[in-house]
Amino acid sequence: MNRQDIINKREWRELFEALPVVQGFFGGDPDSHGINELLRNIGVYMEELLAHADDGKPFVWYNLGFNSELIWALEDVHPITIELLGALHSTICNSQNALDFIDGAQAVGIPADCCSADKLAIGAIHKGLYPKPACSVGINTPCDAQVLSTQVMAELSGAPFFAIDVPYYHEEDTILHVAGQLKELIPFLEENTGRKMDYDRLREACNLSNQMAENLWEWLDWRKQVPLTQSSKLVGFTLLMQILFTGSQKGVDVTEGWLREARERTQRDERFFEERVRAIWYQDAVWTDLQIYDWFERELGLTVPVDIFGFYANEGVIDTSTPDTMIYGLARKLVNCHPMARQFRGDIDFYVKDFMQMVDAFNADCCIFAGHIACKHAWGGIGLFKEACRKADIPLLVFEFDMFDPRITSYEDVYFEVERFVNEIVVPRKLRA
Amino acid sequence: MAEEILREVNGLISGITNRHVDEWKASGKPVVGYFCHYVPREVIMAAGALPLRLRGAGSEDSSSGDAYLSSRLCTFARHVMSLAIDGHYDFLDGEVSSNSCDHVRRSADVFRKKTGIAFHGFLSIPRNPRESLYAYYLEELRKLMAGLEEHFGVKVGPDELREAIRQINANRDRLRTINEMRAEDKPKITGAEALSIHIASQVMPPAAFIDLADRLIEALKERPGLDTSRGRLVMVGAELDEPEYIEAIESQGALVVGDLLCFGGRSVLAPLDENAADPLDEIGRSYFFSASCARMIGDFPKRWEELNELYAKVRGDGVVFERIIFCDPWGADLHNIMHRIDKENTFPLLSLTREYNIVPTGQVKTRVQAFLEKIEIAKAQKAAAGGQR
Repeated sequence: MNRQDIINKREWRELFEALPVVQGFFGGDPDSHGINELLRNIGVYMEELLAHADDGKPFVWYNLGFNSELIWALEDVHPITIELLGALHSTICNSQNALDFIDGAQAVGIPADCCSADKLAIGAIHKGLYPKPACSVGINTPCDAQVLSTQVMAELSGAPFFAIDVPYYHEEDTILHVAGQLKELIPFLEENTGRKMDYDRLREACNLSNQMAENLWEWLDWRKQVPLTQSSKLVGFTLLMQILFTGSQKGVDVTEGWLREARERTQRDERFFEERVRAIWYQDAVWTDLQIYDWFERELGLTVPVDIFGFYANEGVIDTSTPDTMIYGLARKLVNCHPMARQFRGDIDFYVKDFMQMVDAFNADCCIFAGHIACKHAWGGIGLFKEACRKADIPLLVFEFDMFDPRITSYEDVYFEVERFVNEIVVPRKLRA
Repeated sequence: MAEEILREVNGLISGITNRHVDEWKASGKPVVGYFCHYVPREVIMAAGALPLRLRGAGSEDSSSGDAYLSSRLCTFARHVMSLAIDGHYDFLDGEVSSNSCDHVRRSADVFRKKTGIAFHGFLSIPRNPRESLYAYYLEELRKLMAGLEEHFGVKVGPDELREAIRQINANRDRLRTINEMRAEDKPKITGAEALSIHIASQVMPPAAFIDLADRLIEALKERPGLDTSRGRLVMVGAELDEPEYIEAIESQGALVVGDLLCFGGRSVLAPLDENAADPLDEIGRSYFFSASCARMIGDFPKRWEELNELYAKVRGDGVVFERIIFCDPWGADLHNIMHRIDKENTFPLLSLTREYNIVPTGQVKTRVQAFLEKIEIAKAQKAAAGGQR
């Protein structure tokens, strides 16, 4: 599959055509460095992908719980996350294509009750939209849905497959267990891509990954400011950036844009609306229409300083002194930092603990549990999570929706739920206090 | 005679406990519940406890489970946890959960926080059965064993483990015999009955089961063979401990002559070495590398091979896939099975998504009827084509 083959596919072509339009739309605000850098680098990523395909160089597929530093460190190997097309269509272009992927996946046997994020991936693979991989890597985090998508990825790609197991526990042994598997992964990647691991390149990738992480941590610090001076909708992109860009210059560029915007807007003390309520959006973002966050801000005075996709835990940077320390650092990142993988692979206590820390750190007034309908690990903890919120006296809104499929719960219904919660529960409560 | 023993079996599995469990408890010995077939019964037995497979049998509603697990989790987990929250599992002295799937993992949280059960064990089972990950599983078994030893004040040595292997091997021998009788041209036992006896093997002391199974096997020898002319089916899929479900399928004239179900055929591992120098390693290897569940990533090719081997062995006419709604891992296997069938045209497939504790009525029966008709037409066409040649 070369450049022309890719562009000839409608789903890619529409993406290439839409990107400049969306860039033009957001470019209208020259201070919007965050979203502008994100869009610019998505463009760079896609162009690199085309060039790579043209040169006939190898690709490696992986799923959303994995990070790509090790793949970048192999010379001339390009990583492709299988959720790529669906996620991009949902967020910047044409959600109809995302719905086609979902319906397509269901038509070939993926049950309707499974996660739409995986259906996006499987639908796109079934349509033959990704260049064939030399091999693929599947990781079991954060949830059973990834077990589904990786099994299907392995079956459909027909390429050699490597599975990474992340255990249940939050302990040092878990990191060492994952690090051991990353060491196994290296010869697997070398053998199947025909490229040698270059540890200098890995060091470079880890340094870029560290810079990106440090930018994210500082950016999250700016988001703790009251009132929030940046857009709520940016926050969910942390996960997307981790799976697309970590270990590359693109990740650094995007996060520097975010950081610059946060710093400048905060220093200028910009206010586009009156902040009345701050919520921890402790689940999945409304990817089908991120403009809903603008509406929340403007109409309700509701801001979302952080959500579960956006929270990037500060567990320290990767020590780049030796190959072993780098691999350990990458394992720690996958286990302890990667959004959702951190909170969802173990017991509910860790999930609750992270939430309570976010409430404190980000000065939140309430929690919005936007329950992605097929997110079993999250829904499976809802009873204990409700009890924890009640005990801590934190107002909690729980509703069902699908983060990629507006046919499940409409934009209007999501807005209605949030509006009622803010106006009838949280604001009166704050006034009483 | 066989019917009488089978009625006895049904009585033993109609609820979450039975007279054998009561007798075991009355003798002062502990009972430990477990969710998943990757939790080795031998380890629990070696610690002097009776391993009891957790089930939702007899649960009339899942509302207590729903309150904690939501209505978005599988109904098997919700019914089990309803029973646990409502105190019906209070007779347990311990439970062992695992990260088998998100549903069991979240049930483990509820077990710990919302029941009064004294011992909580946990196994983090690697998601891929390759040699390099086996050491982690073995270490998990060691930790579980140590936890059981500490809690129940016992010492588990190689001899205790070998004895447990011997007893469970003897159980599985009987099940293999029954499965052979089930695969005959004129099977001696229905799929529903076979599932019942498999379930019984997991909810009663091994010695009592051996007595029961031996009586059944003898009685079955005298039983006339059953007609399979409407179709010999193989069932594959996730948790199914409701013989009534298979009964509804078989009520349409077909027989389920083999299965790879979690409570059924997949639980019948090959015999373990009773004299192994390291019996825990023997147990660990046996569980980790065989009886692959859809939660094992990258292991679908092996599951596909096993399904095809069983299908050929029992001379199947079609495969029924069953899955409880909201199960992602088996959702992936459904896709992959369909994908392989599409490529290889291996066997007719009927996929059924179900809820736990709901006896299938018209809808399932209609689908099975249509499936059997499809099989019959294909057979007739094949025969006609053969005649023309």
